[in-house]
Amino acid sequence: MEGESLSTRLRMNLRAVYARASVRVKASFRERSWLLGETLFPFLSMSAFVFVYRGLKAPREYEGFVVLGGAMIAYWNNVIWGMASQFFWEREQGQLQLYLITPASRMSILLGMALGGMAMTTTRAAAILAGGILLFHVSLPLDRALPAFGLFLLTLGAAYSLGMILSSLFLLWGREVWHTATILQEPVYLLSGFYFPVSAMGTGVAIVGSILPVTLGLDGIRQVFYGHAAHGLLPVPWIPPIQIALTLIFLFIAAVTLRYMENLGKHEGRLTVRGD
Amino acid sequence: MSAAEAIGRPVKRLAQVLRTSAWLGWQVEANWADPWIFLMYAIAKPLATTLILFFMVRVVSQGGATAETFRYIFIGNTFFLYVSEVLIGISWTVFRDREDYETLKYIYVAPIHLLPYLLGRAFTRVATSTLGVLVALLFGRFVLGLTLGVPETNWLLLLCAVVLGLVGVLWLGIILAGVSLVVARHSMNLNEGLSGLFYLLCGAIFPLDVLPRWALHLSLWLPFTYWLELLRRMLTGRGFAASLARWSDGDLWWILALATVGLCALALVWFRWCERVARERGLIDWKTNY
Repeated sequence: MEGESLSTRLRMNLRAVYARASVRVKASFRERSWLLGETLFPFLSMSAFVFVYRGLKAPREYEGFVVLGGAMIAYWNNVIWGMASQFFWEREQGQLQLYLITPASRMSILLGMALGGMAMTTTRAAAILAGGILLFHVSLPLDRALPAFGLFLLTLGAAYSLGMILSSLFLLWGREVWHTATILQEPVYLLSGFYFPVSAMGTGVAIVGSILPVTLGLDGIRQVFYGHAAHGLLPVPWIPPIQIALTLIFLFIAAVTLRYMENLGKHEGRLTVRGD
Repeated sequence: MSAAEAIGRPVKRLAQVLRTSAWLGWQVEANWADPWIFLMYAIAKPLATTLILFFMVRVVSQGGATAETFRYIFIGNTFFLYVSEVLIGISWTVFRDREDYETLKYIYVAPIHLLPYLLGRAFTRVATSTLGVLVALLFGRFVLGLTLGVPETNWLLLLCAVVLGLVGVLWLGIILAGVSLVVARHSMNLNEGLSGLFYLLCGAIFPLDVLPRWALHLSLWLPFTYWLELLRRMLTGRGFAASLARWSDGDLWWILALATVGLCALALVWFRWCERVARERGLIDWKTNY
């Protein structure tokens, strides 16, 4: 009986994950303007930084750094706007309470948002990579693609787990969400070295930046592709266990904070506040 | 009613609408936080982008990059903040009022027009961008040790050039706000992307001459290309892009002024059309979010 109940709950939660993810995937293909906005324009923005290195007559690998950073920015932005601040938007539109009255776990909703967000963002990241390779002739050695892809997946796991924590923290906030999300953009682009090797800022600052999974992930992927030219911060073999540990820690913290913030919100009556 | 009254009354009314919507914009943007915290939010972006470019130049300095090169990059990037913030800010107002606060429809039951209301709402973005630009300039001057201004720099004229470019940005923002009235919320990416497109094509952070030829031609059609070049010339005494060397400072002023007038005319026609389409299709209280 207990086993049956567990499998029923598991099935229900998996359906919740699928449902939340599929909304995002379907929506991203339904809106043509979104496809254009998600692929062509971010590429153009990233290109400006490629031209900075070209203008400075930097070695070609640096253009590769920017292209890889540009692809990673797409995911980081999705973590901020599509994960962290999503519950704020849902609350503003009156949808949050619908999640709360279902028996599905909030973590399933977040997982669905994360998986849907990753799928949605992959279009953007792929366009940036393809554009970088085809238009800027950035070299990404294919024989090293598999370890780089493995590192990339671990990085996504840790980054979206961090997004889940932020999502629970953002749950009760009002308009400061918008500004906080903004502050997590350019300053993080700097701290994570999206456009230059993070080690250029000095080891101390770079280590601080490594609290964000995208920093180490990007540093590792660049090292896999470009070796010593990437001016890596940590040896590549160190990075996967760190990312796995960060994922587990972040998931645990996310589950705890989500429960705490939800209860706090219920006590303070803020889960249905709109226009705050 | 005298002629002076006939002219004065609408102007007074316009000023009233602009002032009230600017106040509303300020409350929406800033009344949730302590002014110091808000200040920190306002300056985080310009300082971070300045430092990103600083490290990019520093990391390849062995390739011949100089402090002089960084100075041009710095000026372009700093003043481009107006384009990215104000441009996106105006169209974002449409989405926020339409979908989050659900107040856009109430503009139509009030005795005001949407366009001046949006221009008023943009003032907050102009103010925060100005703050960001000033802090970035001070940071560049006193922390990064950059020389800004030469003995020939006419600071009053520089201010005029900044304002002229800013007026162009405002009208372009109105064009994008028109687009926002007829597209879904997530098309915000489109507006942000356009800002990225300008960042690329205006040569905000690199000399235009490294662009491919076709992109360079496009760049020469954008008013902000000339705006940034003019500001660089005024602050450093020399131009940055060889492609613009044939234009004198006076030419740049003329191009900028004519482009601003053109943008204004286009914005008025385009916005009116988009507004009509949005009302016909029932999009004024549209809600879109996935």
